[in-house]
Amino acid sequence: MTQGSFLFADFPIIAALILLPLLAGLMAFCARGRHRLVRFTLLLGAVTHTLLTGMLFFAGKDQDPIYKVTSQWLAFDDVGGIFLALTSLLFLAVAIHTVFWLPPEEKVSSRHDPSGAPLMRDHTFSACLLAFLSMMTLVLASRNFGLLWVAVEATTLASAPLICFHKGAHSLEAMWKYLLICSVGIALALFGTLLLTLAAQNLPSSSLGMDSLSFHMERLHPGWFKAAFIFILAGYGTKMGLAPFHTWLPDAHSEAPGTVSALLSGSLLNCSFVAIYRFLNLSPSALRPFCDGLMLVLGLISLAVAAFFIIRQTDYKRMLAYSSVEHMGIAAIFLGLGMGSEPLAILHLCGHSFIKVALFLVAGNILMAYGTRSISEVGGMLGTVPRNTVLWLIGLMLIGGMPPSPLFVTEFLLVSSAPLWLGVTVLVLLFAVFCGMVSGFLKMAMGKGGVLKTTDFSARQAERLWFIPALLLLTALLAGSYLLFSYELMNFWMKS
Amino acid sequence: MTGFPEIILAAILATDLILVSASRLLHCIRIVAIQGFLLGILPLVLWQWDESLPHAELLVVSAVNIAVKCFLLPYLLRRTMHSANVKRELEPLVGYSISLLILLCGMVCAFIFGSNLPVTNFSVSPLVSPVAFTTMGAGILMIVGRRKAITQVIGFLVFENGIGIFGAGMMLQYGLIVELGILLDVFVLVFIMGIAVFRISREFDHIDSDRLNRLGDFPAEVTPRTGDDK
Repeated sequence: MTQGSFLFADFPIIAALILLPLLAGLMAFCARGRHRLVRFTLLLGAVTHTLLTGMLFFAGKDQDPIYKVTSQWLAFDDVGGIFLALTSLLFLAVAIHTVFWLPPEEKVSSRHDPSGAPLMRDHTFSACLLAFLSMMTLVLASRNFGLLWVAVEATTLASAPLICFHKGAHSLEAMWKYLLICSVGIALALFGTLLLTLAAQNLPSSSLGMDSLSFHMERLHPGWFKAAFIFILAGYGTKMGLAPFHTWLPDAHSEAPGTVSALLSGSLLNCSFVAIYRFLNLSPSALRPFCDGLMLVLGLISLAVAAFFIIRQTDYKRMLAYSSVEHMGIAAIFLGLGMGSEPLAILHLCGHSFIKVALFLVAGNILMAYGTRSISEVGGMLGTVPRNTVLWLIGLMLIGGMPPSPLFVTEFLLVSSAPLWLGVTVLVLLFAVFCGMVSGFLKMAMGKGGVLKTTDFSARQAERLWFIPALLLLTALLAGSYLLFSYELMNFWMKS
Repeated sequence: MTGFPEIILAAILATDLILVSASRLLHCIRIVAIQGFLLGILPLVLWQWDESLPHAELLVVSAVNIAVKCFLLPYLLRRTMHSANVKRELEPLVGYSISLLILLCGMVCAFIFGSNLPVTNFSVSPLVSPVAFTTMGAGILMIVGRRKAITQVIGFLVFENGIGIFGAGMMLQYGLIVELGILLDVFVLVFIMGIAVFRISREFDHIDSDRLNRLGDFPAEVTPRTGDDK
């Protein structure tokens, strides 16, 4: 494997990428009470991160970073780089949305429920968001399996308080489940990491560095590696939301405010995917079929569970959360199919992130306008919040994999290139998911109007927040159209 | 083959058995502190003081381990316990004698399974993996079988200790930075969980986590809101 030889390994920039958001978070936390300063700091942190990411790519790859001590700990390979760019851009988008969303949310939530639970203070919220960004960057940057574990656990810790934005009983419950289930899951991954050390004990340099391990991967002890992989998959699979371990995900995603669910779904799940991907790449060739088979099984279970729960769903944010489980399942199936389909998994996740972030932001707007997450209580959206409804329906089209969507391209390739039984199963499950989502979304958009009127304060506020979701959906549309008509794909279709 | 390592491992086994059958929380916290101390000195005892091995790193990790797991975390837990105003676990989902029985069965399985593992040159004592698995099992048992949120935190710590015993016993090292990072993570986790426990106790008037069941996919099964809400 020549993975290690070309990396984005400019250490000062990487250190800044991780430390500056933390610093900005600290600043935001200290600026308690001064709302403008807090929001400015949040934006500043996001913009700085994006600029630094650009600088990192501009600085280019190092030829022989493997001899540098720093790049044995922190460096970006191609996959890390792609997800870094994705995380950075999406965080910027969410940060801009948050700045415009926070003030009306405070007013609206006191109107919906005057004696209700208080909101989290904006300085804590911003500080946690920025710390979350920093830790996600650390996950993507770490070149050492131990450090990777520390970073993944730290993302849990930084994001858990964010779920409790509305300080009520329900969100507290969601946060507790998230903390406990994810921590136990990730502790399993720690055990898996230990077993990996055991599998690597006959190697000349028995460290947990990814580059040295992948250089010697054929000499890993197969029995111990098998055990390690099972534990790692269970552990990081919990965080990624793969099916038997996904139970925290719908609760956390539905209780968190829209912006936080967007980040959890759009960036955090990808980070855990990267952790599993790194580990899968390490598997010795004799064990590769075993590992691939496990991924395939988990992916299919996720897809089936998502289809089952989406069809009878009554809560639109939970529906989106299960749709995330579905797409993580598809990514796992891509990984399980083995050689050559990893880029498709990454492409699928990128498309999913853009669309899902936009959808969760719109869901946040709808929640702000109506004050309820129940599908049946939201009705006649087309009459009251037309802009959000249009975005909602476009998002539905894209997430369901209608043709101009990037997900259409990846799902088509999955169904057409997989073995027949797998392709048919996936197609049936995807269709079930699509039907469930369409029925829920259309019920909300059409139907009789609820109690809400166009002139209501909350509806007007929600209508103002259309820009960022629209931008994200437009990006996804353009990327999808480009993919659809790009040269290689045309070639591929001609052949098949 | 009996020596210091075996004595310590046997003591850890005893702490596991006491933990799953203890009802007073203060007692549990003290036992966890003792377990943390035993875990901290385990690598020092197991180490063959060879010149080629990095001593300073080992000593630092051990010292920080003892400081965090034996003093800092129990202190945090005790503070949480007082602020949430709970003294004991009254009605566990799985009774104390039954959990003791389950753990004993688990221990037998762990010994059978542990003796069948492929031999490694690093394992110092044949007791290491059975004790580690038993400790992890005790942690899981406390998380699953108890009602109080704070007992679940203790259970998580026990689980973490089990992993630590496996690592120390097999002489596996993550490296200094990673070990410290793991300890920092665990510390922050317990800190946040402490705050959460406090807020759960204020919000629900109790910290029974099995009644944290309002969220679900089929709202018909959810208990009505007007129940024990404050």
